[in-house]
Amino acid sequence: MDLLHWFIPWEESPTLVVLISAVAFLYSRGCARNKPEFRRKAAFWIGLASIYLASHTQLDYYAEHQFFIHRLQHVVLHHLGPFLIVLSRPLPLLASGMPEKWGEIFAAAGRWRPAALAARVLWNPFVAVALFAGLIAFWLLPPIHFIAMIDWRLYRFMNWSVIASGLLFWGLVLNRHSLFSINLSPWARIAMMLAVVPPQIVLGAIIFFSSRELYTVYTICGRAIGGLSAIGDQQIGGIILWIHGAMMSMAGILIVVRRELVSEKLLATRLPG
Amino acid sequence: MAVARPVFLLAAILRNPGAIELSKNGLQTDYERTASRCEQMIRVQAFRIRRYICGMIMAFLVSGCSSHRDWHVDEVAGHLPDLEFILTADDGNATTAKAYGGYVLLMYFGFTGCKAECPVSMARLAHVMQLLGDSADRVRILFVTLDPEHDAPPVLHRYIAQFDPERTVGLTGSAGDIQSLTKRYRAAYRPRSGVGNTRINHGDAVYIFDSQGHARLLATSSHPDEDVAEDIRRLLKSGI
Repeated sequence: MDLLHWFIPWEESPTLVVLISAVAFLYSRGCARNKPEFRRKAAFWIGLASIYLASHTQLDYYAEHQFFIHRLQHVVLHHLGPFLIVLSRPLPLLASGMPEKWGEIFAAAGRWRPAALAARVLWNPFVAVALFAGLIAFWLLPPIHFIAMIDWRLYRFMNWSVIASGLLFWGLVLNRHSLFSINLSPWARIAMMLAVVPPQIVLGAIIFFSSRELYTVYTICGRAIGGLSAIGDQQIGGIILWIHGAMMSMAGILIVVRRELVSEKLLATRLPG
Repeated sequence: MAVARPVFLLAAILRNPGAIELSKNGLQTDYERTASRCEQMIRVQAFRIRRYICGMIMAFLVSGCSSHRDWHVDEVAGHLPDLEFILTADDGNATTAKAYGGYVLLMYFGFTGCKAECPVSMARLAHVMQLLGDSADRVRILFVTLDPEHDAPPVLHRYIAQFDPERTVGLTGSAGDIQSLTKRYRAAYRPRSGVGNTRINHGDAVYIFDSQGHARLLATSSHPDEDVAEDIRRLLKSGI
């Protein structure tokens, strides 16, 4: 099978293409003006590319028809992609890549009271944690999962919702912030990353240890990979959910500790020796 | 409750964003005018997004209420698109979904080389037709092949003769035609995987359409034949 065939989108989404190319265009303009470090650029491009590749190639066919691949797709869309994008702190670069008119629009949007209030509600630490973990649980409720996999509109809405929730959550916890005047201490942000771990472990364990088929939609519509039983597929999916949640939170915590809690003095004394 | 305050505030804003807007005085600078125009645009967009989200929530509520109470098999009304295809029937003639208007349709994806699931499912459908008695004349079974290279119209014709030949139509076409139909109904089909004809993966679903071609129900091998027949009878009663 030729390699290029894999890059043909399984289901075309013009919204995704337009949004990703707009972001890529603004970012490269911002890069040309500001010359950021290579590390930041690499994190941003890998994050953006992973979101595109996970949702707009032939991989999407397998995600629609195999539970554990669906879970892997969500690891990328909910965790890895947004995590890397946020890690690169792209907002100043995107803003500098923008035409001035757009900047005004965004500034107006930021001043618009409901937007500011919505941001304050969404970025309330408790709401953010509940939203991030709750969304995973919501889309995994068996009846909801069934119609989300059957109805292409809900399927897209599901994937967009996890990308948005990933950007919101990691955007709040990974970096020191002054957007919408929200300031959380590093300790609060570490606590938030720890708080989303248990729900994911519990959900993953419930799915892994379930002896009956929870997500019948894959049997009904057919699985992409032969030779793997329904329960086997479900167990791999459960394990992925179980492990990756904790994994990404640990990575986030290490980054916050390294960036903000280890004092510069300590680093300076340890590096030469 | 102090905890619930942000939620109430948000709900109030969603209902009436005008109420907390700042009052604008007569004197406006150019900059303020641009800003207020932008705000106007954003407000219109926000309204559309709100309407979309409300619609989504309504769809969830409606589907949550109706799916498991009324029908024996899974209800998918509104979630799957109407039936549409251009394929070749087992008599060798080109045919479209319109040709079966007025019939309740039971669509099944399979292939003649399939030894395990397909004969069982087709025999079950034939049994359902028997249970329906005279009403079965207003029902048609569509057997869509997932192996169009092998299943030419004569092969299909011979195959369906084993089950309910008068009321079953075998359908074939190019791999592309079959793929666009399976994709439309989210059925697994991968013509390029090239693992060999005996290892075609396929689902367990019987897609049930009403006489107007709207997708209504999904029956699987876990549903008893009597339940499927009862639901079809109900569709026939309501669907004219």
